[in-house]
Amino acid sequence: MSVLPFPSFLDDIKEKGLKRAVFDGVNEVVERITAGMNLQDIREALRGEAPSRKPNPRLQPHADGFWLHMRPSYFHKSVTGVYPEFRLGWLSTYFVFFETITGIFLMVFYTPSPEVAYANMLTIMSNVPLGQFMRDLHRLGAEAMVIIVTLHMLRTFLTASYKKPREFTWATGIILIFLTYFLSFSGYLLPWDQLALWAVTIGASMVEAAPPEIVGTNLNLLLRGGPDIGANGLLRFYLLHVLAVPALLFMFTGVHYYKVIIHGHSLPPKEENIGEDTAKRVPLDKRVYFIPDVLTSEIMWIAVTTLILVVLVTWFFHAPLENHADPQVTPLGTTAPWYFLWVQGALKLGDKVLWGIIFPTVLLVFFIIWPYIDTAPSRRWAHRRIQLTVGFVIMSMLVIFSYMGLAEFGVVNSADTTVMYHLTKEPAHNQVGTLRPIPFEELQAGIYTTRQFEALDESEQTTVVNAFNAELEMVNTDGGRAIAEDVLAYLGTSQNLPLSSLEVVPVSSSSRELREVVEGFAHELEINENELHNAWGLIIVTDVQDDLKRIDVVIRWEDVELENGKVVFDEAGEPVLRLDENGNTIPRLNSQHIYIHRDSQYFAAPGA
Amino acid sequence: MATVVSTETQAKVTAAPKERIAPRVEVAAPNRREFLYYIWGASIAMLLGGSGVALIWFALPRFAEGTFGGTFTLDSSRVPVPGAAPTQVPEGRFWVSNVANEGLVVLFGVCTHLGCLPKWVSTNNRFECPCHGSKFELNGKYIEGPAPRSLDRFATTITFADGTSAISDEIGDPIPIEGKIVASVAINTGRRLRRTGKN
Repeated sequence: MSVLPFPSFLDDIKEKGLKRAVFDGVNEVVERITAGMNLQDIREALRGEAPSRKPNPRLQPHADGFWLHMRPSYFHKSVTGVYPEFRLGWLSTYFVFFETITGIFLMVFYTPSPEVAYANMLTIMSNVPLGQFMRDLHRLGAEAMVIIVTLHMLRTFLTASYKKPREFTWATGIILIFLTYFLSFSGYLLPWDQLALWAVTIGASMVEAAPPEIVGTNLNLLLRGGPDIGANGLLRFYLLHVLAVPALLFMFTGVHYYKVIIHGHSLPPKEENIGEDTAKRVPLDKRVYFIPDVLTSEIMWIAVTTLILVVLVTWFFHAPLENHADPQVTPLGTTAPWYFLWVQGALKLGDKVLWGIIFPTVLLVFFIIWPYIDTAPSRRWAHRRIQLTVGFVIMSMLVIFSYMGLAEFGVVNSADTTVMYHLTKEPAHNQVGTLRPIPFEELQAGIYTTRQFEALDESEQTTVVNAFNAELEMVNTDGGRAIAEDVLAYLGTSQNLPLSSLEVVPVSSSSRELREVVEGFAHELEINENELHNAWGLIIVTDVQDDLKRIDVVIRWEDVELENGKVVFDEAGEPVLRLDENGNTIPRLNSQHIYIHRDSQYFAAPGA
Repeated sequence: MATVVSTETQAKVTAAPKERIAPRVEVAAPNRREFLYYIWGASIAMLLGGSGVALIWFALPRFAEGTFGGTFTLDSSRVPVPGAAPTQVPEGRFWVSNVANEGLVVLFGVCTHLGCLPKWVSTNNRFECPCHGSKFELNGKYIEGPAPRSLDRFATTITFADGTSAISDEIGDPIPIEGKIVASVAINTGRRLRRTGKN
């Protein structure tokens, strides 16, 4: 007789005693949650024993549960180890989830607006507990995902796993690799630093080249929200990065994995007869069951991969953050993200439409239809010489193009720009302009020259500087202006630096680091003496406000003949000078300036 | 025994003509219901197509006057005298050059090489790109460096004091002024004119 008017737990207690009733209750709850395995079944699995009851309770969660219905209940023994798949497909999926989780944490502290995005970065890195850790993980995960997904594609190609019936799986994979690259690329812009702005500007300008012009222009407007990247562009890239592209990625991951499961993981080529596909007919003795073996191995992989990432961001990797984005200042040597360097390299071959749009599109379409081109039944390497050759040719081409995409390749900088850049460069890529780390106290207002260090002897330096001053003030006999007047006019008009006179002084011997920098400057001009003929440089330090100095770098040289950025030499091996109609050399001036605040914290790059 | 032989011959006889007969597919004319489905499908496709176009129209940015991408109007005070240093309008990313004997041209201030920003260097009387050293004349013409073409221009309308006006041609050559007095200059930064070469 029931205690209550309906059957209840109290009846169980009455019937079985408290301990037994509680145990049975827990057991039932566990069986419901696991969709079929009770405590005894779980313990048997953990102990490595065969299941003691029939039907096999370890297959039940695959049949009745939501989460495991998308996983096969057993795998072929040959595809559960590291070889031949290297777990690359699994790792790609791991990174999809890893990036989603770390990304959500970052979204909490991020607003997609040019006014606060960079400040948000600084807050995340310095004021949010584990903020920098999360950002580093997200960034490292993104880079790793690009590598892993690419390797996954390479592996599929090498083992010919794209062959019938997996052609469509391969096609969805190509879409996924494209989405992965685009996800990584769209995330580049979000910190709103110089690296972000200019890498994305270069990338997005590809879109603009799409023919015909009306399509390119409008695609560019749709993507960037304007002719160049501003507030609209940042918002659009943010929405693509956190909503649109991840949604597509999840959808295609679903399709891709569904196809993998219905066709089975392709077996190593040597285990099958030619033209045979036995992935779905796994003999009993070759079966590895998901519960517990594959599940255990996957949990281990999650733990180990996460541990590796954590170790890397703790000691070896920090996501870069450069100066605040400035649409008015292009950093020298800007490149696209490394996985798009091949496009940038191809662009150096010529036409923007051909190499920037048509070439990548053709490559993408070629990859998608590749399984329908290579329809030979054999997956053995020996039978696939042509196909493997095609693969290696494409791979080598991409590697060579990537090398060509580097800033150093095929882009000739003028010597004056390069010298100036070494002095004033904003911190980026572990380098900083040599002027920036000079201690604030050493920056005494004054005009210094590289000529000082052309003196053979330290005692003669003052004499050399005085002689230089006289040279500056000397008026040409044919009625021209003194050099000093030219320089002052240039600084006043082009650089907004009104100076009353150009009185050069030697660098004080107490300003040790400033001295070293000016000496290094002199040395660089000497190295480039062919292109910068008779060159000298000035470093002008002026007080702008309390605690704020302005440093101008001026280079003056005599123009030489250049052809494609290279100096033209005469028969005697001397550079050919450009002369005006009177037969005089043509002086050239270039200058750049930076501001240094007392609290500016620039450090010489480690190992520099 | 006899039965077995006869079945075998029968099988041979029936198998042979089977290979020759092409399968006949009968296609019935669509009935009313099927036809209405097609019409309905077509109208859904058109609706979706229309929505797609509307979506693009919705997502295209709009530009107010005086923001980059829209139109800028400069009065005569900001137009340099012929041969003088060009006027920079940073918010519009352009330079206004008045070239003696040629006329007025509005140059897009972004290098045609890799998108850096050339600056006007008075002493050298030319635009110099700080990144890779491309040089351009006052009228935007290529001098030297890695740039593939001369500077791009913006479509410009000059209104003169006498009420007449002049517009840029398709390749953005300088607009001749010929001694007339400029009242105002309207620059459409949404329409960029590209030169094909280094002229």
